[in-house]
Amino acid sequence: MSANTERKLADGSTISDLIDLERREVQLRTLADREIYEIEQDKIFGKTWLLLGHESEIPDDGNFIQRFMGDDSVIVARHKGEVFVSLNVCPHRGMKITTQDAGSTSIHKCIYHGWAFRSNGEFLGSPVADQCMHGKIRGKDELGLQQARVTLYGGLIFATWNIDGPSFEDFLGDAKWYYDMLFCRSDGGMVVAGPPQRFVVRANWKAAGEQSAADGFHTLMLHRWLGEVGNYKKDDGESGDLTPEMFGAEVSSPHGHALRCIDLNRKIRRLTGKDPEELSVEEKLRVLPPPGMTADAFTQLKKNLSPEQLEAMAWMPPQVGGMFPNVLFGFVYIPQADGSVVGSMTLHAYVPKGPDKLEFINWIFVEKDTPPELREKMVMQTIQLFGTSGMVEQDDSDTWPHMTLTAKGPQGRHSTMKYQAIYETGKPEGWPGPGIVNEGFTKDDTQWHWWKYWHALMTAE
Amino acid sequence: MTTANEPVNFFEQCADEIAIGSDVYNQALGFYHAEARMLDNLRYMDWVETLTQDIKYNVPLRQTRLVKDNEASIIYSMRHMHEDYRSLMGRALRLSGNSAWAEDPASRTKRFVSNVQVFETATPGEYAALSYLLITRNRFDDDHFDLIPCERRDILRLQDGVLKLAQRDIILDQVLLGTPNLAIFL
Repeated sequence: MSANTERKLADGSTISDLIDLERREVQLRTLADREIYEIEQDKIFGKTWLLLGHESEIPDDGNFIQRFMGDDSVIVARHKGEVFVSLNVCPHRGMKITTQDAGSTSIHKCIYHGWAFRSNGEFLGSPVADQCMHGKIRGKDELGLQQARVTLYGGLIFATWNIDGPSFEDFLGDAKWYYDMLFCRSDGGMVVAGPPQRFVVRANWKAAGEQSAADGFHTLMLHRWLGEVGNYKKDDGESGDLTPEMFGAEVSSPHGHALRCIDLNRKIRRLTGKDPEELSVEEKLRVLPPPGMTADAFTQLKKNLSPEQLEAMAWMPPQVGGMFPNVLFGFVYIPQADGSVVGSMTLHAYVPKGPDKLEFINWIFVEKDTPPELREKMVMQTIQLFGTSGMVEQDDSDTWPHMTLTAKGPQGRHSTMKYQAIYETGKPEGWPGPGIVNEGFTKDDTQWHWWKYWHALMTAE
Repeated sequence: MTTANEPVNFFEQCADEIAIGSDVYNQALGFYHAEARMLDNLRYMDWVETLTQDIKYNVPLRQTRLVKDNEASIIYSMRHMHEDYRSLMGRALRLSGNSAWAEDPASRTKRFVSNVQVFETATPGEYAALSYLLITRNRFDDDHFDLIPCERRDILRLQDGVLKLAQRDIILDQVLLGTPNLAIFL
């Protein structure tokens, strides 16, 4: 759609006026404006696939959890083995059907007037059947809870209101090849360690969303404590340089998905004392298995992934990145004081709660077959580094609110976020994976592609 | 989903209540007052000195559940904090370093401790202590306070005549935590 036919904001500008496609800049106003927020609720959160949880949160029929799709509360429930996502709004008078975070019931009964629904959202009936409280104008089949379209991927529950829109596979595109390496690599699959952490950050959801599209640079500054007193401090007590962690390959996607594939060679060299070039893919994956897995899990990796995926997994696996619009993943290999490596597996959703507030949801995962001792180490480490109290992410959650504040200034709102560190490399030689891939030190391309897709969706018919 | 690693039920450890105003009670109260002062004044490394080496420190999640499922409103399978001595020392070191931006500039906090009850336990020299804690947290120019009301379920242990913190479970009142992080100690 050309800019001149685009919907105008109250001050006469269009969404396209806020993003400079030539120079790769985005006006800060996007991080505070209510009008833009309301368009996003329709054009983004009403259209894309959204992460709601993992099926291990609702293992049995009748189990349910309450989650959000944009500003809408939904009930995610298991019914006859399948997962259903129902709008948590009573079709009768608009009361929330459930006010609980989680529970188990075969019938959801609205506490206001008593209309009742099955776990799959079907209308069961209203009280005093012979008085037909729900009337005769609409049939029972019209009075069920509104259903979202649902897909399960690696056990992760995604849903969308875009009933006839692109399939989940199309939405992921080339990025699926990489996500498979994270979510679909084991026989037992991954499971949540428990329900997600939830907390509020007074920032626009996009401050977190654009960062999740593989912002490597912020690690060097915002998280420099990792080198000073944290896991990346040198053995001799000197401050560690985080720049080697910034090398690898970055994958971006026309749909705003992003993955930072970080080179494992230094870790493998440290663990084995050998040149990684001399080791086979299998040897490398046994020395440094993916987070939550042990050396003997190699047979599972071999079964579930292609030889090309295994090669990338042993060389530069995806470790941090995101899934458009509001998901961050961290499947990282964290060095320990004793020289070993312990992984973490975490997914976040940054749920919009108004133009200047987001809900940070943090799920921590393990593999179903992760041995108990490793599981405990992983979960403790992940809680200590990520999420509510995470020593890494507490710095992020204190930073984003300032961006949303600066975006409110009459001058500040016209300042721009700049994405001008551009790759000029292309794929690493012999890179086995698809997509837009660039090698070397982190750059801004992945985040820029995130904004381009935001722009495309916001200006779509 | 499991509830692995769930601590022993705190209330099962509470034996006879120690009288308000007795020496042990006063000592426990003094411990809390001193602790609040240390933490409110950023004396993190001093605070670590008040912990036993085998400390267990947990902030379980909360969930909104029906009254009949009330026990399930406290979740140990996932927590906001899950700490031991090493990790608490790590956090204190980070906060005392140069780049802990979440608390630099630091929040202005006040820890109000009240409703203190102290109980004997089966172990001589170890006391179970229940208290309420209200933390007010203010950052930058915020014209509001982040309020963090909670209950502390502590085990205090006498070591060389001094009480130290051997276990703490913090039961928050918020499901959706209203402060952007737990970069501060509760």
